[in-house]
Amino acid sequence: MAESARLTDMELERALRELGPRYPYPPTPNLAVAVRRRIVAQPVAPVRRLTLWRDPRRLALAAAVVLVLAGAAALINPTTRDAIAHFFHVRGVIVSRVSPLPSVSPVTPLNLGRRTTMADAQSAVSFTIGVPAELGAPDAVYVDSEVPGGEVALAYTPRPGIPLVKQTGLGVLITEFRGDLIPGFLSKEVGPSTTLQETSVNGHPGWWIAGEPHLVFVQVGGIDQQVSLRMAANTLIWEHAGVTYRIESSLSEADAFRIAAGLP
Amino acid sequence: MKGSNRSVEGRPLDDLALVERARTGDVNAYEALVQQYQQLAFRVAYQVTGDAADAEDAAQEAFVNAYYALGRFRPGAPFKPWLCRIVANEARNRRMAAHRRTALAERAQRAQASGEAAPSPEAAAEADEFRATLVATLGRLRDDDRLILAYRLFFDFSETDMAEALNVPKGTVKSRLSRALTRLRAALPADFQLASGGTVNG
Repeated sequence: MAESARLTDMELERALRELGPRYPYPPTPNLAVAVRRRIVAQPVAPVRRLTLWRDPRRLALAAAVVLVLAGAAALINPTTRDAIAHFFHVRGVIVSRVSPLPSVSPVTPLNLGRRTTMADAQSAVSFTIGVPAELGAPDAVYVDSEVPGGEVALAYTPRPGIPLVKQTGLGVLITEFRGDLIPGFLSKEVGPSTTLQETSVNGHPGWWIAGEPHLVFVQVGGIDQQVSLRMAANTLIWEHAGVTYRIESSLSEADAFRIAAGLP
Repeated sequence: MKGSNRSVEGRPLDDLALVERARTGDVNAYEALVQQYQQLAFRVAYQVTGDAADAEDAAQEAFVNAYYALGRFRPGAPFKPWLCRIVANEARNRRMAAHRRTALAERAQRAQASGEAAPSPEAAAEADEFRATLVATLGRLRDDDRLILAYRLFFDFSETDMAEALNVPKGTVKSRLSRALTRLRAALPADFQLASGGTVNG
């Protein structure tokens, strides 16, 4: 192997520095006009900071006001809603609204990892697996150790009161992973006929996504590595203490919240 | 002198004043920030998306998001890396959407083709080929690697700014940069090397 003939780090760095000014970028568009138009159309008063940062109670109140204003703006303007959807995401999850939503086969393999026992799954992940009391022990447990911190999937087959979800072939699917370690792990695209609602689950920030199925991408090891995507049903998703929880089913919001109540 | 501010990126004092005014609702101040950073934002986005339209959308969305997030911006912190982090996230969203439409291999091939077609009529043919190969190979790297190389070697970010823009601990920046260079070298053609004039040999 003629490794010695290869460029050293210094040579490569020099080559890249020389490339920088000649990199074939397309011409930079003028963004200022469009940005100005959008922020003038939806003015959200920025926080006055002078005293706020010194007073946590005022700061909390101001943050709440901004959230309410942002929420109101979201109801009015779909573009703003998209921006907010990106911004207030649960760690490990990025939600975007797109139109139209591209179609994907509903029966894409789930790729949940290897099937195993609960004890083995617990030893393979770096967080305490939550099992909802409402559903009890799952019918199957899967673990994916290639995901940083590990990902566990709890599968529940359909039963009275828990209808089949055709996208998963299951009744309820619960996944748990370290969203703090993998910020872009799940990417969700939501079409115009799907409700996207920012919510609070057990006091933690979350999303309720319901209605028409949405697209979900699972991303491991960088953009160009493994990407799987499939359509997903109603989903409640939230984060607590670095762990992101996701409940997918065709249940109502109230039922999904009832299941979530047994989790952290 | 004020008129020259627009062409100078990352003057922290100017940024601080503009950010502070924008935080109180001064749209003109924010527009000045957009003018100042739109080229950098677009180029960072382009490094991720490899597509001009997606890069434009991502950069515009990032500026709008950043405006609405100014209330949560840490006072006194540098604006440039914070903005770049938002831009890169937006660009990743666009790129993920693009993955849905295009097979990964097809995309890589397209990136290579566009790299090879990069116009540089003023340069010597060998230098053209050298740069085209470098651009095409960069296009095949993970975008984390491409971004860290671009921040450091194209946009001349400090390590502190790189850490902020990449959302990683400052202590890991050097090793990440080194790993990115290693992966770039591994992805380059086996006979790719510098001749004395900086052109490709072989």
